[in-house]
Amino acid sequence: MKQATAVNNEPGRFRQAMAWLHTWGGLVASWALFAIFLTGTIGVFDDDITHWMNPERAMVGEFDPQTNTQQQRLDAVTKGEAYLRDIAPQSHLWRIRLPSEVDPAIGLTWENENEQFQQARLHPVSGELLTQKQERETQGGHHFVHMHFEFHAGTAGIWLVGFFTMIMLVALVSGIIIHKRIFKDFFTFRPGKGQRSWLDAHNASSVLSLPFQLMIAYTGLIVFVTVYMPVGVIANYDHPRTFFAEVFNQPEHRPETGIQAEVYPVTELFEKAEALMEKPASFISVEHPGDSSAVAKVFGLFEKEKNTGRLLFLSSGQVILDAVTGELLHIEAPDLFDKSNAFAAQRIMRTLHFANFGGYTVRWIYFILGMAGTIMMATGAILFMVKRRQRSLNEFGAQTPKVYRAIEVLNISAISGLMVACIAFFWVNRLLPLEVADRAGWEIKLFFFIWLGSLLHAALRPASRAWIEQLIGFAVLSLLLPIVNWLTTGQHLFHYFARGDWSNVGFELTILLFGVLGVFTVKILKRKQQKTITEANRVYKPESESA
Amino acid sequence: MTLSYPGRIFSLLLAATFGGYLLTSAVVILVAAILPLSRADAVITSSLLSFAVYTAVIIWVFAVKDAKRAWTGMLSATVIIGGTGLLLTELLR
Repeated sequence: MKQATAVNNEPGRFRQAMAWLHTWGGLVASWALFAIFLTGTIGVFDDDITHWMNPERAMVGEFDPQTNTQQQRLDAVTKGEAYLRDIAPQSHLWRIRLPSEVDPAIGLTWENENEQFQQARLHPVSGELLTQKQERETQGGHHFVHMHFEFHAGTAGIWLVGFFTMIMLVALVSGIIIHKRIFKDFFTFRPGKGQRSWLDAHNASSVLSLPFQLMIAYTGLIVFVTVYMPVGVIANYDHPRTFFAEVFNQPEHRPETGIQAEVYPVTELFEKAEALMEKPASFISVEHPGDSSAVAKVFGLFEKEKNTGRLLFLSSGQVILDAVTGELLHIEAPDLFDKSNAFAAQRIMRTLHFANFGGYTVRWIYFILGMAGTIMMATGAILFMVKRRQRSLNEFGAQTPKVYRAIEVLNISAISGLMVACIAFFWVNRLLPLEVADRAGWEIKLFFFIWLGSLLHAALRPASRAWIEQLIGFAVLSLLLPIVNWLTTGQHLFHYFARGDWSNVGFELTILLFGVLGVFTVKILKRKQQKTITEANRVYKPESESA
Repeated sequence: MTLSYPGRIFSLLLAATFGGYLLTSAVVILVAAILPLSRADAVITSSLLSFAVYTAVIIWVFAVKDAKRAWTGMLSATVIIGGTGLLLTELLR
């Protein structure tokens, strides 16, 4: 109403244009953004989730890589080297990761003849290949992280996420422009007032977490800045490798020559690098093993306590060696940052996005603010429909009811459906037999099937029923998850308490909390629907009497 | 030539996404060329700023609301800024 009188002047028209942009841009992107936000927020705890999803694996933090002796480290590299030389003598890449706090096995990665990444894990002592029977094969918490930045769709997914993140930035800025009473609304919440309450919830969750939302969207784009904005590099360099060499202050990447050459003993390269850095290493990669251009990179052990509270991580140390002759090509000294200020700015933005600079305190803050973001997206999408359910705005002529119905169905499966799929993912982890081929892949496929099922369910049921049924599903799956865990693995909350496994205690308590919140939401929705029905009856009665 | 309402919206969307990306790229090239930093640092700095520029351009397109004006304004700005940027990149390299 206020807008109608203001359209004649320039600022009024501008604000109205921004309102249109915010409403429609926000709606179209809200489904994808809700998915990006929810999975990103869950992904804050990816290591803890991976730990819970691997009940057979030793405890996180039980193994401290700093206690490893040099002989143990070298033995691990030798075992990895033997396996890789056997399985992929000619490859683009070998990687050997030493046992770590997160995974006490030796982790191997290599590219096969089709340039696809392959992975294997070896027992840290015996060096035997760890098979599925000993341990469940799972992507664990990485599933959420990959959903978050690429929808499990590779480069195309990275671009899609970037596209939606740009819409988020635009929606945030246009949202600020249309929002005149930004600080007043911060303290305004009028519950039980239908559309007004949804608007208040949307405003409060957005304004409260606005600086975080702007930061997380912007730094998210910066993580992939060289993918999204390559033009600066293209205009200034003949080849990106020259740019990266300048930035990293390192020798240029050597292209393959096609000339065969024997790989220098990898264990010796590792030993040499440790001596040069004067500290233990944790990771070695060999680029183009078997080719005369082969290069080995050895990375020093990341010391968490040295970087706690720092946004600009110090180098853990890195040594680059010729992997044919064993000759030193470059050394990056540990415990300092010897790159330029511009690159430091980029690194800081990355660290800000990854939430790994202050332990659990920072992770919980990110989790809570991330949840505020998901509430912002969900309430925004719901508000769009609530507004139009009361009075159709007729944007699509005769097709309007059909379009509204489609939007409602998408809202339901994008919000409550995804919540169900995320919890169901943990059920699948416990229920899927260990010997299934490509088990980790199936966990993710089933996640998508369940999500798709929620879309079907939303399309077949009346909207108000679909919301409640899916939320009941979410609550029940959450509340029963610890019991399923107990029945399938014999592990339970008290057992985790007794063992001092706080990571799993936190995981299961958080899931239970979400289950309880789900129950409350269902109760509130039911009460509201009851009220609407009685009100409708009250209005209807006198009319029927008069007729 | 007047477009229908959906046609106008579609044209605005294209202008904002693709036109906006082109103009942003042009600004990245120019800023990278004129920043008094080393080549790599100038490229990083201008790329880091690019998403703010892109956001502003998209807001501008929808504030103008006139697809024709948005397209002409944007393409001419892209040519001028991008042209100057490329020229300076070659000259100052």
